[in-house]
Amino acid sequence: MAVAESESVFTPATSRNTRGMLRVIILALIAAAAVSSRLFSVIRFESIIHEFDPWFNFRATKYLVQNGFYSFWDWFDDRTWHPLGRVTGGTLYPGLMVTSGVIYHALRFLTLPVDIRNICVLLAPGFSGLTALATYLLTSEMVTSPSAGLLAAAFMGITPGYISRSVAGSYDNEAIAIFLLVFTFFLWIKAVKNGSMFWGALTALFYGYMVSAWGGYVFITNLLPLHAFVLICMGRYSARLYVSYTSWYALGTLASMQIPFVGFLPIRSSEHMSSLGVFGLIQLVAFVDYVRAQLPSKQFQTLLRAIVLFVFVVAFGGLVLLTVSGVIAPWTGRFYSLWDTGYAKIHIPIIASVSEHQPTAWPAFFFDLSMMIWLFPAGVYMCFKRLTDEQVFIVIYAVLASYFAGVMVRLMLTLTPIVCVASAMAFSQILDTYLDTKTPKVDSKETGSSDAAKVAAAAVLPDGLRSTRKPVVGIYSYASKLTVVGASAVYLLLFVLHCTWVTSNAYSSPSVVLASRLPDGSQHIIDDYREAYYWLRQNTPDNAKIMSWWDYGYQIGGMADRPTLVDNNTWNNTHIATVGKAMSSREEVSYPIMRQHEVDYVLVVFGGLLGYSGDDINKFLWMVRIAEGIWPEEVKERNFFTPRGEYRVDEEATPTMKNSLMYKMSYYNYNSLFPAGQAQDRVRGARLPAQGPELSTIEEAFTSENWIIRIYKVKDLDNFGRDHQSATSFEKGHKKKRTAKRKGPRVLRVD
Amino acid sequence: MRSITLVASCLAALSSFVTAELNLSQPLRSKQVLSSAFKPPQVFKNANLVRTTNLDKAFPRETINVVIENIDTKPQSEYYLPFETSLISKVGGLEASDKKNPNLGAFKVEVVGFEEASSTEFYLIHLPKPLAPKEQQTLSITYSILSTLSPVPATIAQSEKQYVQYTFSAYTPSAYTTDKQKTKVKFPNGDIPDYTTLPADVNAENKADPQKQGSTFTYGPYEKIPAGAEQEVSVRYEFTKPLTHASLLERDIEVSHWGGNLAVEERYWLQNLGAKLKNHFSRVEWQKSSYMSPPTSALKALNLPLNPGALNPYFTDDIGNVSTSRFRPGKREALLELKPRYPVFGGWKYSFRVGWDANLSSYLRKVAGGDSYVLKVPFLEGPRQPEGIEYARVNLRVILPEGATNVKYSTVVPVIDSDTTLHRTFMDTIGRTTLSLTAINIVDDFRDRDLIVTYDYPWTAGFRKPVVITLGMFAIFATVWVVGSLDTSIGKKKTA
Repeated sequence: MAVAESESVFTPATSRNTRGMLRVIILALIAAAAVSSRLFSVIRFESIIHEFDPWFNFRATKYLVQNGFYSFWDWFDDRTWHPLGRVTGGTLYPGLMVTSGVIYHALRFLTLPVDIRNICVLLAPGFSGLTALATYLLTSEMVTSPSAGLLAAAFMGITPGYISRSVAGSYDNEAIAIFLLVFTFFLWIKAVKNGSMFWGALTALFYGYMVSAWGGYVFITNLLPLHAFVLICMGRYSARLYVSYTSWYALGTLASMQIPFVGFLPIRSSEHMSSLGVFGLIQLVAFVDYVRAQLPSKQFQTLLRAIVLFVFVVAFGGLVLLTVSGVIAPWTGRFYSLWDTGYAKIHIPIIASVSEHQPTAWPAFFFDLSMMIWLFPAGVYMCFKRLTDEQVFIVIYAVLASYFAGVMVRLMLTLTPIVCVASAMAFSQILDTYLDTKTPKVDSKETGSSDAAKVAAAAVLPDGLRSTRKPVVGIYSYASKLTVVGASAVYLLLFVLHCTWVTSNAYSSPSVVLASRLPDGSQHIIDDYREAYYWLRQNTPDNAKIMSWWDYGYQIGGMADRPTLVDNNTWNNTHIATVGKAMSSREEVSYPIMRQHEVDYVLVVFGGLLGYSGDDINKFLWMVRIAEGIWPEEVKERNFFTPRGEYRVDEEATPTMKNSLMYKMSYYNYNSLFPAGQAQDRVRGARLPAQGPELSTIEEAFTSENWIIRIYKVKDLDNFGRDHQSATSFEKGHKKKRTAKRKGPRVLRVD
Repeated sequence: MRSITLVASCLAALSSFVTAELNLSQPLRSKQVLSSAFKPPQVFKNANLVRTTNLDKAFPRETINVVIENIDTKPQSEYYLPFETSLISKVGGLEASDKKNPNLGAFKVEVVGFEEASSTEFYLIHLPKPLAPKEQQTLSITYSILSTLSPVPATIAQSEKQYVQYTFSAYTPSAYTTDKQKTKVKFPNGDIPDYTTLPADVNAENKADPQKQGSTFTYGPYEKIPAGAEQEVSVRYEFTKPLTHASLLERDIEVSHWGGNLAVEERYWLQNLGAKLKNHFSRVEWQKSSYMSPPTSALKALNLPLNPGALNPYFTDDIGNVSTSRFRPGKREALLELKPRYPVFGGWKYSFRVGWDANLSSYLRKVAGGDSYVLKVPFLEGPRQPEGIEYARVNLRVILPEGATNVKYSTVVPVIDSDTTLHRTFMDTIGRTTLSLTAINIVDDFRDRDLIVTYDYPWTAGFRKPVVITLGMFAIFATVWVVGSLDTSIGKKKTA
């Protein structure tokens, strides 16, 4: 805005430099604001890695930094998925770790010994500053108004939709991927506009980087071909498009195939087929275009069109055939769930069990995007009005991303950049119109006798849109200018307020450390997770296997540094189901499973004392469902519900529930904290049975201060070869139940 | 800045974690090696010997007051004190001085060993003045024995009393004939369920042996005990306190002339050598008992008194900040109260890191005239616990500014190894001069001993870093300018 106002102050010659300078300063300030608004958690808590997945990325980065790139590339991790292990080097997107590793070594080279943890924590905020810059560049390609770019950068910098995945400590793939996404799109637009092989190659380069960083690269893989396809269908084929698309596709595909985890997917999986198809199509179109230029015969063209159509149909049919026959991998389950939101819940409960894979609730749009959600359609509409090549891109991106964001919560992230761009375009249009200090001169005549050209234009153009009938003249009254500008300023302020509030309250909790307020208002930190993990790290053998639900696998690997059975990678559904079965079965069933998997300790999360609702009993039904998917005969979800269909933990709980290992581990010894018969579960608001559960095959090893984490040790085989149940009852002094031989009725012996 | 220092030391700590894991059964120690046939010459006799064994703390502290007499014809100055080989590696902080004339200061003491494995090794005490024939001198020898108390029973219930056993020789081991001797054992309390009783005829006064007076037992007196005689006795007494043992303490003191700051960081690898839990840890029991706070064998808290003026303390471990700490700055001393993440029971470990800053001016003096500086810092700070803490190994690094030369140190703490190296961090070009000192078997009685370091630091050295950084920036700008003005375009240049 300052830029817009200063325009009139300076003469054109000096103002160019000054404006450039101002723009740089404003962008630097925006980047600074973007970084600093992500530091809430560092200031409130500490420089700590958040949540679950970041702990794996952090651990992998440490491995990379300590062992070098090649051993990272070939990393086989035997400390996860015991006893299977995981080919970690080949099953991850290495972009994030390599980026941090490069930064780490660059700083080392400058003899700045910055801890790798701090690099990881601050990577996401740092890249968010770059994302703001990339958004500025992208927007500037779309419109001529310079203020749109700056607005878009500012929006992108602070919008909660992006902050949700990029606060300090949220060291996940998205941290760098969103920057790469936006920057790749910018380069693509640049390439399409210039028809330059250089920009096309740069697009491919950053696309390759993106592939190495995030599985969401598929979005680019499909969006760019779609853009090209739409342009061809609109009859906008040009040599520019040909050059940029082919150079991107050829180089980009090669680059993407360098990542072991991607490998041959770009030519073998359905997700990538659209880009291959469009690549073929564009060759045909180019050929036709060339021939048409040589042979202007009309019949020939018709024939050619038929051929093109035929080839296209044949190619498409071939594709379908290859897919059906299995040469090309069919769509993955995650992809199906994009089209049918109920698909995952029925077929792959493990995907549905993740909260970020749920369909988005509508308030989330307002929560994450605030006022941009209503500015966004206006921006898209403006693109329709002009509809240049790059604005077609905006429209396609907007439509696709809106759909995906509605289907899956986490895909809100891909929607955010385009919302920022589009709403910045709309907003800057308003500001540019109303912030103009000049009052337009009243033309000689408004209506009636206008010149001949205008009449002719009106005759040619459809007069449906008023804007085409009457070109913009400007605003006359200062009052209306002030009102609109004032209102916009208020909206912008509210936006900043909303973003800060959301960031501070919703997205800045590390979730490893919980905070609560004491009665005197001071902050009290609940640090049970780290207490228990550190206990494991210090006081158990280095190779003690820990069984827990998969949510905590990465954290145990990262903080407790102990082998786990399953973790958040979830590559092996059966293995997870095995753990689910062990958790949801009776002790006699679980014990052999745990012995077979060499489990030493079992870890459960229990929130009953504190009222912490994200605990294992609340996740328990997912364990049951996943186990039921593999062993439908042995684990039945129905048995965990009361006859009236309630999920209960109190006296009314079903016997299956009460005998399950998870239930026993959660409530073992819990009632001794309370007066007899008063034990209360504060999460589920239930009074527990007076008689607490008893354990025989495992024993309590550690419980954290607020009982959030409970660790049990799996007992060794009994020394006397008894089963654990009878050993326990013997120690308690119960008499061995004599299986009384039922004597039959006396029979008279007859010799 | 502080966080960056923290980071730097984290990295340094990473490497040292490896060394901490190594069990140095044969500690590094300067040794005078003797041939295996060596026997201490019988030139002295112990006219009277009183040994006091203090069992108040988690490690026995021995004080031997002995009147020695030269029975040779020539003046003698080398007094040998024998220890069993298995014991000598646990003996820490052995100091000898003249009881009657404390102004003489601590005598020079060194360890002597044998070429081949031998069951006995010696501490050799050098008397400052050779003792003339028939002359007498009263020596006061003090030392502590580390990790020697063994919990009996070895496993106890969570809130049970802990009993430890201490085994020693009722006759004070000596390389010389002892005319008269006795041993006083001071217990922390009167709960002493088991102790060895010796037959009354051994006792010089034919009384029951030991004599009991409250919580003090006296073995002896014994007369005419020949050299090398031993009589094993053991006592078992209640000690419901943690046996805190630091297998390694790394302590870094970083001096910054530019910032006027003294940054201290300490990394501990603690272990409780007490009785292990019979069953596993029960939170219910712990929470119930915590209302009454009875004595426990678990390490619940550590209090770290810091010098007044300490700033910005931090308490972290491998997985981040430990939120259960409290810092009380004060006029006389600043107290840092640390609580481990979990109560450290017998057999459990806990490693952590604490650090703080202080104003350099209260530790550093410039020597009048010249570029010399004198730094006076405590050799050991560490927690102050009523039951004491023992350190198996202390690695102290004093990181002086870049360009400091002519480093000298002096301390009364027995240091076994010292080295001056370079340590490169934070845009150093040659690296900072670092004085590394190693001490083993230190107990927290050594808390208040000072380390004095003198070094030369010319004022020009302070400007090395700004100049290097400025030159570096100029070099970058120049490179960018040169590269920017290169014309790499292909084909003819269009002239507009």
